[in-house]
Amino acid sequence: MADSDEDFVLESSGDERGARGRGSRRQTRQSKKKAATGAPRREKWEDIQRSWDTVVEAADGSIAGAVIGLLEATKRKRLLRDTTPIQRGIIRHLVLVLDLSSAMNEKDLRPTRFHLTLRYARDFVTEYFEQNPISQLSIVGMHDGLALRISDMGGNPADHLSALQDKAFTQEPKGASSLQNALEMARAELFHTPSHGTREVLLIFGALSSSDPGDIHDTIKSLVEDRIQVRIVGLAAQVAVCRELVMKTNKGDDSGYGVVLDEAHYRELMMTATTPPVTKSQSTSTPSLLMMGFPSRTVETHETLCTCAPSGPNAGSSVGQQQDQTPAAAPISQRYACPNCRSHFCIDCDIFAHESLHNCPGCQAISASTIKELVSRSKDAKGEPVGTSMRTQVAEATRMLEKSKIAPGSSTTTSMEIDP
Amino acid sequence: MDNVDGTEHYNLKVTSELPTLQVIILDTNPLAWDSLNRTSNLSFPAALSQLLIFANAHLAFSQSNRAAVIANHIDGAYFLSPAPPGTDTSDPDEASLTPEQQRDIAQSNASKYRGFRLLEDEVRATYRRLIRATDPKAVAESANASYLSGALGLALTYINRVCFGGSGGRSNGIPGEERGKVNAAGGQVDDTGRTMHAKILVVSVTPDPAMQYITVMNCIFAAQRLKVPIDVCKLRDSTVFLQQAADATGGVYIEPEAPQGLLQYLMMGFLPDHTARQSLILPTKVDVDFRAACFCHKKVLDIGFVCSICLSIFCEPPDNAVCSTCDTKLDVSSLANIGKPVVALPKKKKKKRALDSLSESNTPSAADSPVPIP
Repeated sequence: MADSDEDFVLESSGDERGARGRGSRRQTRQSKKKAATGAPRREKWEDIQRSWDTVVEAADGSIAGAVIGLLEATKRKRLLRDTTPIQRGIIRHLVLVLDLSSAMNEKDLRPTRFHLTLRYARDFVTEYFEQNPISQLSIVGMHDGLALRISDMGGNPADHLSALQDKAFTQEPKGASSLQNALEMARAELFHTPSHGTREVLLIFGALSSSDPGDIHDTIKSLVEDRIQVRIVGLAAQVAVCRELVMKTNKGDDSGYGVVLDEAHYRELMMTATTPPVTKSQSTSTPSLLMMGFPSRTVETHETLCTCAPSGPNAGSSVGQQQDQTPAAAPISQRYACPNCRSHFCIDCDIFAHESLHNCPGCQAISASTIKELVSRSKDAKGEPVGTSMRTQVAEATRMLEKSKIAPGSSTTTSMEIDP
Repeated sequence: MDNVDGTEHYNLKVTSELPTLQVIILDTNPLAWDSLNRTSNLSFPAALSQLLIFANAHLAFSQSNRAAVIANHIDGAYFLSPAPPGTDTSDPDEASLTPEQQRDIAQSNASKYRGFRLLEDEVRATYRRLIRATDPKAVAESANASYLSGALGLALTYINRVCFGGSGGRSNGIPGEERGKVNAAGGQVDDTGRTMHAKILVVSVTPDPAMQYITVMNCIFAAQRLKVPIDVCKLRDSTVFLQQAADATGGVYIEPEAPQGLLQYLMMGFLPDHTARQSLILPTKVDVDFRAACFCHKKVLDIGFVCSICLSIFCEPPDNAVCSTCDTKLDVSSLANIGKPVVALPKKKKKKRALDSLSESNTPSAADSPVPIP
């Protein structure tokens, strides 16, 4: 409540200017806050973005071009993210906490919060192990005021998926949820994890209240001491203690706390946790060259001594994926061309090549001499003829792309300007 | 009102079987086929007709099954079927045929199932065009040329479009959205938004293209993600990469002992589709060679050196101990001991170790064990 009061004063400060000297309670709090933080915070709901405002009609009054542009902008969203190299911790230990309280019976997310959460949890497990092949995961539920262990810390996605199927799907969402119990269980599970890995908790919080046996602030303090990073996805509304929890465990950064807008946004928030967190402290060990064997798997007909050696079918997995062989493609039209081999791709193939394949199918399928010939030919022709309607769509699509790129930064600058 | 619950209709599972797309990647290196013909008496035309029988058998399983053929040629990878739009698919040899020959062909075609004839004609015609366009001089120079990664890339992008509607196997997971796709694709869709199953068969006669190690591995991981098995029929020259491809994607790897009986191997080993394979013990090779190719000289290695930052593989410590992939200065001092006999640690060192572990336990990271809360 306090937050919304302050913001109300800020919005109508022009009318109430005369009342400033009287030292009303509101005003003092307002000035105190200003002194403390500088620029006033703008809440998300203050900047309303109507989806229909961004749509621009084409010359003939159709919005087909704009719609295609929007579709492509969402498809390409992942490709436009920042690519500055930063150090990330790739050995992760994460506890996924699912809310299984009665609040999950709500049907504001289709079909119900409970069903959607379990479905996304399944996808999360798959995606998490795809992105972090050498990391560990554990799943905990908040059910009827207690913390319910669904799966133990482990690195096998199949175990977690079957545990979800057996233990979470069979539960009926019931009772209250307890943040403290769940966090303490997560803390206990992360207690034995080695110090070179990260310790993280991803909490899905559907309820608006928490019934705790003790003081949650003590738990937050011990989480900070154990350097456990907590991220929260809220399904209903922002809760103050969740925000505090995320801020304190992430060194004052509350970007790990999000409240879902709709199903797609929910998935997006949950899936951001599959990318490894940025390592903030300098690592102490120096990079070194390791000697490694690449064994063959053989089946012998006679008995042998046990070697207790793990099989290594994924030895090369991180190697192949790290080497992104795809040259960045420049948008020409609805098509995307590879700057190396001048092959054209539709957006689906372009995204598939960047996100899954990490090769350019054109460069790989054509010999070097043919590529040279193609490049010289396209230089002579100065690009190929493109229809006018196509060209307008191009302009629109690129504009949309630029917009989606600029948007997050621009909002921060506007809030800076408000402060005199 | 609470009794009216619409949740069940989101949880319906598609139970009936999805059709299958079979992509065949065929090596068309003339020199390699020639040497295979000399050693094991299997000529390319014979192999091609057997492959087409296999493709027809696949098409015969279901009206909605589809097949594609990609040529892995000496100067690139090309679609033989479906031919790229805009290409001439008429048979270049047709003009030189006598009227009697033409009549014979027409008569044999008249009683053939249309789906089979279309595929056969297209593959044969595009293949003839491909061979005519190939420079004989280039053939002599490229005894081992292979565009394996390009062919796999074409196959996977095609599968992504045909079987997943371009979604890359990542459904956005929003209930209802996938149901919308049912109508758009005119067929059924499973949980992941896939409208068809797919499998790739690589018929290979050329050795491993070591230069393409990274790109081939990328293709293998992409196939793994799409859950597309890569089957391998290796007629000549055992291979490391394709063994790993079949192993990682759950495909079948066969090195036929008698290549003349190719059709038998194809029908028995590779024909079963996704559903049938679940209840079969596949005739695949159990021994798998997991060796990798180094990034510096593209040699296939048993033992190599790995950068601890980017996991690049080298056959020898790189120049100046700087990783050529990520430019990290590497510590190679520990490598000096390699090859020296292993000596048991003296007692003094053991003591120091014990001290180390003691001091470690005092670090703040190891906090007190959390107290259970009643």
